[in-house]
Amino acid sequence: MKVTVKSWTGVATWRWVANDDNCGICRMPFDSCCPDCKLPGDDCPLVWGACSHCFHIHCIVKWLHSQPQQQCPMCRQDWKFNNK
Amino acid sequence: MSHKKGDLKVYWNKITYAFPILNDNIFSDCTNAEYDEVQHIIVGLGVQIKIRDLVLIHIEKHLRQHVAPKFWSKFIKVNEDVRGFQLFKSAVNDLYEAVSSFSSMMCRLTILNNSCNDNKPIYGEKDVVLGFKQLVRATLLSQLPLDFQVIINHFYKISFNVFDNEYENSDMSEDIMCSGCGNEYADCNCAYIVKVFHETNRKLMDLQLLERLTGQVLTNFIQLRIESHIQKLCTGTFDVSHVGFLENWLDTTVMSWLTRIYCGGSSKPPPDDKNIQNAISKFKQKLRYFLYHSYTKLRIDQLFNIIIEYPDSQPAVDDIKFCLDKTDLRSTLCKKLQNALETRLLHSGVNTPDILTAYISTIRALRHLDPSGVILETVTKPVRNYLRNREDTVRSVVSSLTEEGAGSELAEELAKYTGEPEGDADNDEAWDEWNPDPVDADPKVDPKDRRTSDIISMLVNVYGSKELFVNEYRTLLADRLLAQSVINTEKEIRYLELLKLRFGEAQLHFCEVMLKDISDSKRINSLIHQDSSIEELNKEFVSNAMILSAQFWPPFKDENLELPDEIKRHLEAYTKSYEALKGNRTLSWKPHLGNVNIEIEIGEKKLDLTVSPFNATLIMHFQNKPQWSIEELHQVMKVPVTVLRRKITYWQTMGLIMEKGSDYFVLADETENKANVSANQVQEMICEDEETESVMASAHDQREGELQVFWSYIVGMLTNLDSLPLDRIHQMLKMFASQVPGTECSLQELRQFLDTKVRTHQLVLQGGLYKLPKTIGLR
Repeated sequence: MKVTVKSWTGVATWRWVANDDNCGICRMPFDSCCPDCKLPGDDCPLVWGACSHCFHIHCIVKWLHSQPQQQCPMCRQDWKFNNK
Repeated sequence: MSHKKGDLKVYWNKITYAFPILNDNIFSDCTNAEYDEVQHIIVGLGVQIKIRDLVLIHIEKHLRQHVAPKFWSKFIKVNEDVRGFQLFKSAVNDLYEAVSSFSSMMCRLTILNNSCNDNKPIYGEKDVVLGFKQLVRATLLSQLPLDFQVIINHFYKISFNVFDNEYENSDMSEDIMCSGCGNEYADCNCAYIVKVFHETNRKLMDLQLLERLTGQVLTNFIQLRIESHIQKLCTGTFDVSHVGFLENWLDTTVMSWLTRIYCGGSSKPPPDDKNIQNAISKFKQKLRYFLYHSYTKLRIDQLFNIIIEYPDSQPAVDDIKFCLDKTDLRSTLCKKLQNALETRLLHSGVNTPDILTAYISTIRALRHLDPSGVILETVTKPVRNYLRNREDTVRSVVSSLTEEGAGSELAEELAKYTGEPEGDADNDEAWDEWNPDPVDADPKVDPKDRRTSDIISMLVNVYGSKELFVNEYRTLLADRLLAQSVINTEKEIRYLELLKLRFGEAQLHFCEVMLKDISDSKRINSLIHQDSSIEELNKEFVSNAMILSAQFWPPFKDENLELPDEIKRHLEAYTKSYEALKGNRTLSWKPHLGNVNIEIEIGEKKLDLTVSPFNATLIMHFQNKPQWSIEELHQVMKVPVTVLRRKITYWQTMGLIMEKGSDYFVLADETENKANVSANQVQEMICEDEETESVMASAHDQREGELQVFWSYIVGMLTNLDSLPLDRIHQMLKMFASQVPGTECSLQELRQFLDTKVRTHQLVLQGGLYKLPKTIGLR
């Protein structure tokens, strides 16, 4: 008997490679989206700061807009986007 | 003025000659001329009042002692109809004769009374003759025996048989027996019966005894006839309205027949006799009510079948609606229909989809019957309660919502729905058509809700929340999306839009993401296939992926499966390629999900199959090594032995694997050719079997996951207090763990949960007390 696989359709779930499960601002899981968004993933991406903390991009942008100083809400260091 | 004794004797003789009743006699040859003289004597003596009263007393005595007992003595219990017929006839004849024999005496008494000038009423009547009739009736009825109806019954039974025969069986000429009188045609005496019947009725009518003596019997007979007519006319068919026909029948046939009884044979009531006309019209009203009543009753008994056949049975429903206004059968209807539903629908022998279908047509039919929705609400309460307890209700509703093609009424209903129904403005215009709710309405429910809620919301309201339905839909959608290799996304999106209209955007947001995941996966697949590193591998076979957003899909059943190395290599390459495509994101595979297209070559034969990853892995292992024990397979595939044993049957039924010895499987190679022959036939069946199993965690499993929160509390309790009974654990949980959100836990649920823990040896149940097993305590 010889078995030949012609095609294999697997099922996978995607997740962000981050050092935490939830966004520190909106407390939603990273793999979900921020409260303002409907669709996760490409439409509601994560960003990492220089301090290695990460957030939903919409959350941190909103935060930065509302603050006089551009600081990470977790560690109070100056916020810089880490473009890795 | 003085009279001699001899004169007085002569006078008295003359008076008794005129009024023989004073000597207990009735007959005399007294002529009018002779009476004039007697009258003159009486007036001359001035004793007219005394004589009149004396005569009346004697008449009364005579009636009481002779006429009435003689009349009633005929009313004995007899068994033969004919005997009863004769008895009643002769009784009435005798009575009539006896009463008529008084007539000449009555004439004289009238003259005597006129000369009294005292205006004293005679037995409540001004006129002597009327008073006399009153007296006859009073005397007769004062002696009414217990069983007087027996022979009347016989009498009318025979007569009605004859009438029936006359009206309906004109074409039954081949019978030897006349169905009217029961005799042979040769000596049929129908005509005689009819004659006697009319004569007797006329006499009774004359005596004004017809109604009192025979009214009850007559009514019973007519009602029986109405009932049997309705039964004959209205069984089985629901698609014709009968009310009109029945009313017509009553007006023509029954009424003409009744008129003949009342009018002694003529078919038209005498235009000047108000009494008869009144009696007939009263009777007619009574009968009309009875007609509606018995028709409605019959229909109510059939209502369950009517509902099942709705909308074909609409005329019948219309009839009930019409009659319900005229009769007082509303509560009977509710009770009867509820009983019918309970005995015919609400038991374990009926499939849930059938119950739902019946429920839907009940909603439709009763909506039509009673637009206020009150009957519907009352009647279907047990149905709703029952559906709530059925496990597969939600699933059935949701699957019939999304089913395509004819037969799925819910899908049609869903497509019909166009947002909010008419606004309040329409209602304001129709203020003058407003009606109060029926008395049996539940005042706590807003009547507007009752009226406007449509079928789907009625079904959804079985559970009181949309959420359960949406969740179930999500699970079904997930199953469908993962099971099909080719997905008709457009169709699913269309349904999703329809559902959104009804359930709201927010509720179905998750499903939207799920659909988007599937279409995104297609795009990602084609992007990744362009990747050069994958291209190399894809020369062997194509690997695709469905990439899901885990947060938005229902939880998956937790199953493990170790895939063959070559497959793992493929998937790792795919993951790498994905990571390169989407920065900072990676994939976690669900190895047991998905589908695999494989080709199996056995000698000359080629089988092209689409199977689950599990089955593919299994057969690939057998390709490398033809003999496996179940333990070895367990080592390689990391799947529990029980699952292995269950799933290996797939290949066994395909005839590719045989069990040689217990738990020892070998590849059935070319040697077993005849088994292969059947393979193709079996295949279809098995594939279906595979699909029906949901890959999603069942609601039960999900609930268990929620209860898991309590486990640490329970372990803590049992470590400190050694052993506890069930209700104690429940109480303590209530005390300590009630602040955990969303975890209301009934005693029964807790028992089930603890029982599963006992089964998995995490707990020990001893004499009704739960304990931690020793090993855990030591650890």
